Amino acid sequence: MASKAPLSHLCASIRRPTTQLPLLPFLAPSFTCRYASGLSKGGRRDRDPSKKKKTRTEFINLSLKNAIQFSLCDAMRYIRAFEVGRPPTSSKYDLAIRLRTVKNGPVVRNRLRLPHAVDSSVRICVICPPNSAISKQAINAGASLVGEEVIFDAIKEGRIEFDRCICHVDSAQKLNQANLGRILGPRGLMPSSKTATITKDVAGTVRNLVGGTEYRERLGVIRCAVGQLGFTPEEMRSNVKALIGNVKQDLALLSEKVNKEIHEVVLSSTTAPGFSLNGDFRGPTSLPTRELSVL
Amino acid sequence: MNVAQRTKKLKAKLLDIRIGPGAAILPGDVKKIHLDFARKINDGHFGARKVWRNYLPRLKYHNPAISMTINRTDDQEGPATLTVHFAPPSNTTSPTASPAPAPASSTSLSTPPSSHNASRRVETIDMKHKQDSEILSKLLELTNATPYEPSPDELAEMREVDDDKMRSDRDKKAQMRLNQIRRQEQALLDQARGAGKLESASL
Repeated sequence: MASKAPLSHLCASIRRPTTQLPLLPFLAPSFTCRYASGLSKGGRRDRDPSKKKKTRTEFINLSLKNAIQFSLCDAMRYIRAFEVGRPPTSSKYDLAIRLRTVKNGPVVRNRLRLPHAVDSSVRICVICPPNSAISKQAINAGASLVGEEVIFDAIKEGRIEFDRCICHVDSAQKLNQANLGRILGPRGLMPSSKTATITKDVAGTVRNLVGGTEYRERLGVIRCAVGQLGFTPEEMRSNVKALIGNVKQDLALLSEKVNKEIHEVVLSSTTAPGFSLNGDFRGPTSLPTRELSVL
Repeated sequence: MNVAQRTKKLKAKLLDIRIGPGAAILPGDVKKIHLDFARKINDGHFGARKVWRNYLPRLKYHNPAISMTINRTDDQEGPATLTVHFAPPSNTTSPTASPAPAPASSTSLSTPPSSHNASRRVETIDMKHKQDSEILSKLLELTNATPYEPSPDELAEMREVDDDKMRSDRDKKAQMRLNQIRRQEQALLDQARGAGKLESASL
């Protein structure tokens, strides 16, 4: 604090302090004057309202004129090369469907059962009266756990041995009384009629879930796993066709105000880059499909 | 993403898989290639992993009909072997013609190679403590593979990719230099400003 002495000396002419108080910096006089005019330079007044930046309402979709596109067999040949040596059950093909769509408005969201199931190891729990006709149907459809109180007790003890949970309408009340929402809710397993997991047709829902996949549009793109690495080109073709057909149906079912179209379809996999598909199954130089079925 | 940029990057990746070391066409009697090595590179498993990462995709691209599998074990002291399975020659009919050398089986649970078909001729290459290029040349020699000759189009494409890479490296260096100068100037300014602030605070 060597500078205290000259400071107080400077202020002496203005404030005339009777006592020598330690001067703080904010008490030092400032010689620039500011008056509240309300009209600062470069304010809102100067901006031209007609030049206001337009907010984009649609996602950018660039022209695919210069993109290279592949037939399904060619893309699969490359993908298999990229995926060589990876465990065939853990590596998956996935499809990204880019849509021409507005940013807001309804999104495409649906569930579908692919001709060749991608993941068949999903364990399903059905909550319905045990030893009833419904439970038998559910077991036949592929449910791994069926029951009411037994399952509730198991869940309360922390044994959740399933990946999906479905509830029959008649058992919904018991489910709510069991107070499982706190346990199942955060895991996304709590059945609710909103997600169509409280149903009358338990067997049908189970059947859809066993080989079924869900997809939804996010940021203008639908992404969905369509196959395991070990699938043959024919199997992949039927899966891709089924998925795209379903998406097209969904797009047609949307209200007339919104117009959505498929812009690009890209096939990728766990470790391979994305290959834009041109819609053909085989190109002129593609290999026979038999050769592409070997891992 | 920008379509042109995306295409360029994809083209470079695909070219890298089509040509380069390991791009070879194996003769028809090779049925399967199996690699057995440990998860980590300690104790001489480095070459095996490099073969898988660098060369096997190229081999697979040019020979999609040949099964190529990999089994990685947790046993770091275990062997690192490359097993090539040949189809039985069509003129010999006896299944016990040549006793196949037992492939080094590991502690893993997955099926050991050549347990079901004893009539196949099986050759193994020891990959332990070997460079990847050494393993590759041994494999190509063993299988009698013909190296893939890139077409003129592919060569032209490769030159384009190389040019792009050179240009991008040059630009990268120039930009780095520019950024450094900018940073130095900024630092000098900050220093001067910092000194000024101290002075005004003391006033």
